[in-house]
Parts: sequence; structure tokens; C-alpha cells
Amino acid sequence: MAREAGKEAEEGGEFADFLADVSKEIAQRVESLDKRATPAATSPAPAKKKTPLVADAGVIVEWPNVADRVIEEMR
Amino acid sequence: MSVVNYGTREITCKIVYYGPGRSGKTTNLQHVYSKLPEERKGKMVSLATETDRTLFFDFLPLDLGTISGFATRFQLYTVPGQVYYAATRKLVLQGVDGVVFVADSQSRQLAENIESLQDLHANLADEGLDPRTIPLVMQYNKRDLPAGEISAIEDLDETLNFRGVPHYPATAVTGGGVFETLRSISTLVLSRLSAPATKGS
Repeated sequence: MAREAGKEAEEGGEFADFLADVSKEIAQRVESLDKRATPAATSPAPAKKKTPLVADAGVIVEWPNVADRVIEEMR
Repeated sequence: MSVVNYGTREITCKIVYYGPGRSGKTTNLQHVYSKLPEERKGKMVSLATETDRTLFFDFLPLDLGTISGFATRFQLYTVPGQVYYAATRKLVLQGVDGVVFVADSQSRQLAENIESLQDLHANLADEGLDPRTIPLVMQYNKRDLPAGEISAIEDLDETLNFRGVPHYPATAVTGGGVFETLRSISTLVLSRLSAPATKGS
């Protein structure tokens, strides 16, 4: 973050100020998200949650959630 | 729209400038575009046609580079303010992360401001977005006009800003208040990166 913000600050101007602020905000948020993610990574891996199935029909009940995740990964 | 994607290490924010016709939405984007360093200047797309009413908006992609390991892109859109482009406004609002409402400070435009704000709320609701909680910033534009022609900031705020969101006086034609407004809505949008309800986070 510092690299980009510093580079842009040298260019001066409104955009550079904007970029510096945005970079600072993102750095804070990413740090916050990473902190939340870290304990989960170090703790014992939880049992994988299986996608519920309808036993007799074999239909994935939570398919919209699965589709959402696939779409997100494709972006 | 996903704001942060850990899988692809991308942050994408879609910000829409909303408001009545001729309030200065495009002028806001034009000023931002004019201040971009040459190496960051992509294309500002303006689709303005009298024959094809379904395509009529401005689009300015802002590639901010890699920030904290995330490729960061802002997408700035305007909607057509004219009443008869309702379908396009709804289309542009899809997947919006934050809204700048550009109000025309002229006293005689107050009714248009109110109508546009109501239109915004209705369209957000149609998109399944809560008008009471979506990141929103008010911009009171054209503050350079003679005092007798424009409403006081306090009056505009009382009439339009019932949520009490950040508001900024602006003279977009000369750039006044443009980046302050953009910075404010960006901060609001980014502050939701850590919100539990954020998709894709």
C-alpha cells in the first residue's frame, strides 16, 4: 500500500490525495479482515460442512449458494 | 456486487452518481477524469444517443492499482436524469455499492431533486437494496450561482437529506467539491468491506 500511495503522492493533485486516502482505508480494512481470518486458520480445521442433499431425490438443496460461490470465483 | 474477492485478490466498487437531469453528474465524472494521471487514464465512456434510449449513461473505470495486495478498481457511473430514462436508471443501479446524489442547488429545481430522490429510493428497493442503509452521500451542486437563485445548504439538507448522510457543497464545473464527494462515498463503501453481510468477503 505504502508503495502505491507514496508513488501517487509524488504526482500531487487531487487524485493523488484521493488515492492516498483510499489506500489507507483499504489497508485498514484488509488488516481487519485478515485478523478475523487468522484465528480460523490456526485453529483445528473444522469438519467440512457438507452441502445438504435431499436423500431420496439427490437434489442439492442449497444450490443458489453454491451458484453464488461459483460466480464469485469466476469473477 | 462483490466488493472484495479474496479468491482473485480484487476489490471492485461500483459507485453511481444519481440525480435530476442537468444537475452535474457527468460534470463530476469529467472532472475526475481530467485529474487522472496519464498512465491511469482509461476510457471514459459516454453513451448519449437520442435514438437508443436504453443506453444513455457515463462510465468511468478507475484502476487504482494494487493496494494491500488487492487489485483495486472503482467503477463510476452516472444515470440519465431525464424522467423517461427510468429503465436505464434501474439497469445502472444493478450491483451498486454506493450512491452519490447530485442535487441541483437552484431553488426552482427543488421539486426535480425530490422527485429524483424518490425515484432513487424506489429503484433501490426494486433491486433489493435498502435505501436507508446503502452508502449514500449528498452533493449540493452549482453553489457558484447567484445567492438569489440557489437554496441554502441547510434548506436542501432539511428537505433532501433525511438520513443525515455526509453532504458536500460543490461547483462541479470548476471541480469544487468533486473529489471531496468521491472520497467520502469511497470511504463509506470501503468501510463495509468488513461488514459480515458483505457478499464475497
